[in-house]
Amino acid sequence: MIRRVARRLLFGLFTIFSVYTLTFLMVVALPGNPLQQGERTLSPEVAQALRARYNMDNNWLYYWQFLRGALRLDFGPTFTYTEWTCNQILASALPVSAVVGVLAILLAVGIGVPAGVVCAVGRNGFLDMGLMVMVLVGISLPSFVTGSLLLALFGVYLRWTPVGGWGTLAHLPLPVVTLSFPFMAAMVRLTRMSMLDTLSGEFVRTAVAKGAAPYAIISRHALKPAFLPVLTYLGPATAQAMTGSFIVEKIFCVPGLGQHFVNAALNRDAGLILGTVICFATMLVLFNLIVDILYSYLDPRVVGAV
Amino acid sequence: MLHRLLLLIAFFLAVICWGHSRSRLELRADLTYVNPSDIHTLDPARMSWTTDFRVALNIWEGLTSWDPETLHPTAGAAFFPPRVSDDEGELVFTLRNDARWSNGEPVTADDFVRGWRRGIEPGCAADYAFLLTDHITGADEYVQWRQRWVSALTALVRLRDGWDIDVRLAGSLLDPEIVLNLKSLGELALAQQLERLAGKPDDALGPAIRELGAGWSRIHSELLEVHGNRLDVEFSRVGIRALDERTLTVQLSKPCPYFLDLTGMPVFLPCHSSIELLRERHGRAALSETGLVLHDPQWTKPDYHRNGYPGLITNGAFQLTEWTFKRRARMAKNLFFHGADAIGCRTIDMVVYDNLNAALMAYEAGQVDLLPDLTVPYVHELVRRAESGERKDILRCPVSATYFLNFNCRSRSLNEAPNPMSDPRVRRALSLSVDKEMLVIKVRARGDRIAHSFVPPDATAGYVPPKAPGYNPDESRRLLSEAGYSGGAGLPPISLLLTQNDERLGQALARTWERELGIRVELTVKESKSFSEDKAERRYMVARGNWFADYNDPTTFLNCLASGNGNNDSGYSNAEYDRLLDEANRIADPESRFQLLSRAEAIVVQTDFPIVPILHFSEPIAIKPYVHGIHANARLWFPFRFARVSR
Amino acid sequence: MKTPVITIPGAWRRFRGNRSARAGLFLLGLLSILALGGLPFSIRWYNTQALDRAVRLPPAFEPSVPLDRFTETPETSPGRGASVAHRMTSWLGHDDLGRSLLFRLLLALLISLGIGLAAATLTVLIGTTWGAVAALVGGRLDFVLMRFVDVLYGLPYTLLIILMKVGLTRPVSSLLGFHQAATDMVILFTAIGSVSWLTMARVIRGQVLSLKSQPFVDAARAAGAGPGRILFRHLLPNLAGPIVVYATLAVPQAILQESFLSFLGIGIRPPIPSLGRLASEGVFAVNGYVSYWWLLLYPCGTLFLTLLALNFVGDGLRDAVDPKSTSALVV
Repeated sequence: MIRRVARRLLFGLFTIFSVYTLTFLMVVALPGNPLQQGERTLSPEVAQALRARYNMDNNWLYYWQFLRGALRLDFGPTFTYTEWTCNQILASALPVSAVVGVLAILLAVGIGVPAGVVCAVGRNGFLDMGLMVMVLVGISLPSFVTGSLLLALFGVYLRWTPVGGWGTLAHLPLPVVTLSFPFMAAMVRLTRMSMLDTLSGEFVRTAVAKGAAPYAIISRHALKPAFLPVLTYLGPATAQAMTGSFIVEKIFCVPGLGQHFVNAALNRDAGLILGTVICFATMLVLFNLIVDILYSYLDPRVVGAV
Repeated sequence: MLHRLLLLIAFFLAVICWGHSRSRLELRADLTYVNPSDIHTLDPARMSWTTDFRVALNIWEGLTSWDPETLHPTAGAAFFPPRVSDDEGELVFTLRNDARWSNGEPVTADDFVRGWRRGIEPGCAADYAFLLTDHITGADEYVQWRQRWVSALTALVRLRDGWDIDVRLAGSLLDPEIVLNLKSLGELALAQQLERLAGKPDDALGPAIRELGAGWSRIHSELLEVHGNRLDVEFSRVGIRALDERTLTVQLSKPCPYFLDLTGMPVFLPCHSSIELLRERHGRAALSETGLVLHDPQWTKPDYHRNGYPGLITNGAFQLTEWTFKRRARMAKNLFFHGADAIGCRTIDMVVYDNLNAALMAYEAGQVDLLPDLTVPYVHELVRRAESGERKDILRCPVSATYFLNFNCRSRSLNEAPNPMSDPRVRRALSLSVDKEMLVIKVRARGDRIAHSFVPPDATAGYVPPKAPGYNPDESRRLLSEAGYSGGAGLPPISLLLTQNDERLGQALARTWERELGIRVELTVKESKSFSEDKAERRYMVARGNWFADYNDPTTFLNCLASGNGNNDSGYSNAEYDRLLDEANRIADPESRFQLLSRAEAIVVQTDFPIVPILHFSEPIAIKPYVHGIHANARLWFPFRFARVSR
Repeated sequence: MKTPVITIPGAWRRFRGNRSARAGLFLLGLLSILALGGLPFSIRWYNTQALDRAVRLPPAFEPSVPLDRFTETPETSPGRGASVAHRMTSWLGHDDLGRSLLFRLLLALLISLGIGLAAATLTVLIGTTWGAVAALVGGRLDFVLMRFVDVLYGLPYTLLIILMKVGLTRPVSSLLGFHQAATDMVILFTAIGSVSWLTMARVIRGQVLSLKSQPFVDAARAAGAGPGRILFRHLLPNLAGPIVVYATLAVPQAILQESFLSFLGIGIRPPIPSLGRLASEGVFAVNGYVSYWWLLLYPCGTLFLTLLALNFVGDGLRDAVDPKSTSALVV
């Protein structure tokens, strides 16, 4: 087990490094001048001084210098905001996105898994079809439409929540609900499919033959192995939810990380792009590792194997 | 297991919600306003965004300020007007006795010298450094001298670390002054080798210098020392001097009737001495290894205390007490300000709302009091309600800015095909068939003013801009035939370069041209950075442009079309135009000056048509009725010291 | 986890029995017929502006735009198509440049479906090839290919698409002769397709691995079949199930991604419409000040119905290609 974890960690570091290199290559190939603010053209002397100062005139130099900094967890300056280093931006945005993301995933699991179980148990019945239709309705609209509708209803018309922003408990429900819809749908589908799988498996049939109660069968025997594909999906999904969704953040004015992915790319802000990408890759590796450890707890057949 | 899972989830939910609800409950500020993008920088020497100016001009005060309604220059931290020497070459400013910083210390003339010096030091990348270098004697020479040395020192650092140097850095090492200094340091051999390299071709220069293999580290530190010791001596040649604690003299290199308008701008703001904490340690200004003046980029934060730094100290009506990224900046009344008793608001909040629709909804819900940007898709409806009197809280600011179309005036354009826009008749034809009324009133419908000239008519008192010819499609068709493209035949598709905000206008414009002139127009919509790059490299035939006045004089617009100006996107070059601008620059009498400028502008809008002015912006803002003292003005400048909230 | 083999026979029967899948298929067919059938109209008149009289007019049966806008020049007489189009032009209202929402919506539907299909095809091609090659060749190549997939998972989706869109615009547009609409569509489906194939590669690899260990493959090899014959005659028919399922579910994903990009402003550029673009413009059309409900209802409704139909069909296919069926393999 320790060896497996160590091997995963090692490969995770390699993944982060490769992700950094790939992103760096793409960033270098981008057209556009990151140092120009607004539409005033920088005078050539000023532009050259800036480039030399940020080590941008030499790509190799920038690559190694950024890597050295990243190893010290210092992601350097950004071009768009002079007073804030990349670290400070990540430190202020990541907790916000993390809270919204984790809550969204919890909501998705809390509603999606039981719904999926109900669907699987009542296969092809009214409940199954009804729930599936509801779930599909929830993901057949892009999140900017559902988000705007929810904001208009609860923020403007009913005045139950403040209109966008961040800081108090009342700012949480709307972004979390909007973000959770696609994950909820995936949870329901996955749980339903794998429960169907497990319910027709051998040892469940044995339990039925032994005369065990239906609820006990579902919750004790079937759910544990059925949860495995859900867990596999949850790893990358949590990382994705935690690094925020640009759409949700834009609609509800939440100061999270998702907007930085997009804005950094549009502003050609190399430091911020690389910083956020490394952040995302690290979280992905971390969550995959956690999922892996939980795997071995849930499915005794998996211990030792990779 | 199911109920165990649900219990776990409920537990996590409870923990997170509990942790989140412990955020401090704060009192709402007296006045809350919205900034759609966060502050880009609070460093006065580096800022170029209006939203940043809004904060900076409230927490700092320059030598002069502006009247909130008429925008005429008035007294700031100095008495107004300053004493002028006989030939307008020298201005003497006397500071108020009660001008104080937010920690109680008096504002001295040295603080202003320090602030202005930051504006021209390389490494501050000031967009507005040209305001100093253009007008103050010795500033340009100082900047050039510093650039040369910084390049040379950068080259030495690269060589010391073992990297290659490119042609520009290599060339800087061959500068005669550098070589002279090397000789005086005793490095005769190296100096002679460098002199011999002077004639070499460009790409061989870098490797050749690298091969010289001298003790780069030692040479670098010696030259850095020499340069550091000469810094203040060289700066004393610049025409800014503090005669004593309260007197500042400025030497102008040429007559500048609008100089007092400039002195209120952020690049002319003073800077407290705490920014130079490191000076004591080094005995002079702290320099980085490449010769740039070292300063901590975090010095503008109110809670930054590294190295004994006391946090941001300012001299304006307010001081910054809190600044969180992408959320909020809070300003509190500066008790040491000379007009502190008259300030109506104790605290002011600047909140960041990325999405202006949400900001407008928040304004309606009463969460914010002032919304200075109403760029929402249905703004035409808001403007209509403002005009009909239904919404008295929506005001319109007639901004001194022009939105226009650039023609690519060079003789070649993209894909090496001949550029039809280089023919003035084609440009004139296209200009005459731009239906400005339809575009401004029907398509944009924001209450903007139709532009008949490049410089807005109310930009400067006393200046009457010439009028461009009106909408005349018949004349256009005639001109096109004259140019050889009768009925649009033979013209390649016109590429129209736009950003996403101009789509509707571009589509309407394209249809007009296609219908009236029979030509084909291709819209190229790019996002902001690609757009700027394409425009700068002239990869277009027609591109949209806009220009906001920096100061209160027609030259802020007209300089954009001078040959070789960095903001001359159309590549226009006319010797007569340049000559008129030059001459106007050298005379002091306002009337004759305006006449010359008017003649120059007439060349642009009546004869040559490198640009087609379409509209002058009129920005709607929303202010709650219980906020008094904020007026709509042409600069979107809101001095909060005059604001009173009666809620 | 052992992946059971997925089979085709009986799948169609099960699909037909699924009510929601049937409804979805019917809806999808209806939308496709509308989009394709309306193409000759929409492609000609999606950009007919009427700034002087029809800006943001609500739906009406009678056309609000005169007939002469539908002809080449004001003098020529309109053809029959033009008269028909003219009569329908105000059925769904007009947008903020006076253009007919009906024609724009039809063209947008076609373009979005086209991009979705193209992106899904690209996803399937790359994913299937990658996974099948990894599984068939095995050994070191398998290891390398799958680690590459793991690394690519670590790149954030949105960022990749934006970087590709921003970076590829100039080269692709010069390749395609600066034709803007074609450039946009090619870049969009390439960018979306090339970030979505990762899951597919893993699934196909799992499938091929378990198929490889089936006795019928050994039998075929013993009978002298070469690797190509094994692949095409024996493996692909059994892979058709998951391929079809994932392809169908990739289309709504692609359409959603395109709508997000349009919301950000970097999707298909104007004047060409797409469902995402019309939906993002419509979101702001109903608020406390204005109520242009047709700009919100029709585009969002069409997008909703399209995605719903695709999701129903995809789910129905997934149910139909059921691993727990007892039917035989395609041998």
